[in-house]
Amino acid sequence: MSKHRTHKIIGLRSTALSLLLFLFFILLNNQFGAYNQSQLANIATLLIAVLSITLLTGASGQISLGQGAIMAVGGYSSALLVTRLGFSMWISIILAIFISALFGLFLGLAAARLSGPYLAGTTLVMALAIPSIAVRFETFFSGDVGLSVDYGMPPIWLTNIVGEISIEEWSLYVALPFTAAALFAVLNLLNTRTGRTWRAVRDNEVAAALAGINISRTKIFVFVVASALAGLAGALYGFRGLVAPSVYPTDLSLTLLTAAVIGGLRSIGGAIFGTFAIVFLPDLIERVSANFTIPETIGNYLPGLTIGLLLLLTVITNPRGAAGALEDLRHHRHRKKH
Amino acid sequence: MNSFLTAFFSGTAQGAIYALVSLGLVLVWRGAGVVNFAQMGQAMFTTYIASQMIQHNNSYWSAFVVALICGALLGALVDLAIMRPLTSRKNSQLLNSQSMRTTIPVIASLGILGVLKALAGILWAGEERGFPSPVAPNAIKIGSTNLAITGFDLFVIGVVFAALVLTTIFFTKTGMGLAMRASALNPEVTRLSGIRVGSVRTLGWAISGTASSLAGLLVTPRTNLSPNTLDLLLIVGFTAAVVGGLSSLAGSVLGGFILGYVISFVNVYSAPENVFIAILVFLLLALFLRPQGILGSKEVRRV
Repeated sequence: MSKHRTHKIIGLRSTALSLLLFLFFILLNNQFGAYNQSQLANIATLLIAVLSITLLTGASGQISLGQGAIMAVGGYSSALLVTRLGFSMWISIILAIFISALFGLFLGLAAARLSGPYLAGTTLVMALAIPSIAVRFETFFSGDVGLSVDYGMPPIWLTNIVGEISIEEWSLYVALPFTAAALFAVLNLLNTRTGRTWRAVRDNEVAAALAGINISRTKIFVFVVASALAGLAGALYGFRGLVAPSVYPTDLSLTLLTAAVIGGLRSIGGAIFGTFAIVFLPDLIERVSANFTIPETIGNYLPGLTIGLLLLLTVITNPRGAAGALEDLRHHRHRKKH
Repeated sequence: MNSFLTAFFSGTAQGAIYALVSLGLVLVWRGAGVVNFAQMGQAMFTTYIASQMIQHNNSYWSAFVVALICGALLGALVDLAIMRPLTSRKNSQLLNSQSMRTTIPVIASLGILGVLKALAGILWAGEERGFPSPVAPNAIKIGSTNLAITGFDLFVIGVVFAALVLTTIFFTKTGMGLAMRASALNPEVTRLSGIRVGSVRTLGWAISGTASSLAGLLVTPRTNLSPNTLDLLLIVGFTAAVVGGLSSLAGSVLGGFILGYVISFVNVYSAPENVFIAILVFLLLALFLRPQGILGSKEVRRV
């Protein structure tokens, strides 16, 4: 098959999948009440950040415990542009993507020299230090109080087409096109030469270097793309109402990593599954534990315990996550048939 | 001058605690090739056990000893139950890739951290509580002038010094210490000379658990105790380990003291808000200027 034709097929496939995701969310949105609609908007937003981990850790083998901090970079960029310079939401989101990508470039320059535990520790320190910068330079970043921004009101032409739109639905409508676009970009990157290069670096750096791949440049590029994605997610996450250090805590970084691992680090479907899991799991646990008399102090820690155990169990019994388990199941059945 | 002395002495005491944390990290890294991000979660857990014992009218020292033993047991348990099965899986496709072999244990240790925090929250309600110290945290007086050092600082420095001396004796004078150093340097050859590398590795986890549990006991009288209080200590300990050299035990202790002085001087001469940024800048500087650490040897660093 010619290169041109392969690319066309990959392009068509990713377009179809992104549209499918878009429609799936709209469909769910119509089934849900207001609370679950806002949760759905959260999923659409966080999915972008989880996809950045799929790229970084899953495809190129670099671990980051600081994606939440990069989300903060995106969030603060867009919020500052809106509140200080009076930019519109859409333009500020686009600019936030570029600012985060630039940040990713600097991060990548440092990260290309590091690997494994060094990278994990450094990004973890970053996850703690970056939100504290907002407190340190209080006059500029307004400290712990944070910057209030919001999604605003839906435009009239849209309400004319689809009727009355609630705030929850509007936040989903803003996030979803970006989510679909991010999915499209990630699918295309992973299924072409770029993705193969990343996987080669992940699996064996020496072999990749011998095959003519520039290791540092590849690693830096992954960081730029992943930071752009995380920054976009952070900008959208902030427009829910507030950009402040408490919105982007260290736990956010770990939650994103958990989502990616539970679903399967190397699979896009896994990223989607994992994001749904971490957003809806606390609600599910709350609903189940409402049937029992559990003191509130314990109930507060149940989601953390469940997610931690799930992460541990995944890593020990099935490191490829839900997506890997599904694949094994399919192989197993396939073998039985023959 | 007085503020300089205050910074210096509190830096020494804090640095002693950081040295313990960083020593714990380096022990496991050398022995097992894993940076254990759950380490301070384990320490938090054992400090809660000590705190419970003291609340039930046991003496400070009996709680102290029990916490250290629990720290050793918990460290060994983490290795036996989680890390060993994880790294012995040879057939997994995911673990065949070079970068994933170091990444997966890191993720596992984060899972352990999450579980320990949630468990501590459930068992002990998760509110902040104080933790006693056997020595009053007042400045020592000679006549009527306050010295810049507190009794508690002296206590911390003394305990850590004793622990470091014991560790040094263990590694230089005992057969087990020699076996441990050997298996960190070359596990294959050590195995061939008839040493049970697996048990040695678990012992490393146990010692690391004890060291970090001691750090937890020494730091909580100042910071109070909650499931999240020791997170910062891990970050500082990691930075200290990188500064000193992840592969060097002496380096890790040195790194701990350096970090103690850096943080203490930033606290006194600048502002507490700057501490995080100072740590990040210091870590990045160390990584750029001397990635193998002050006492680390270049070829040992696994890149």
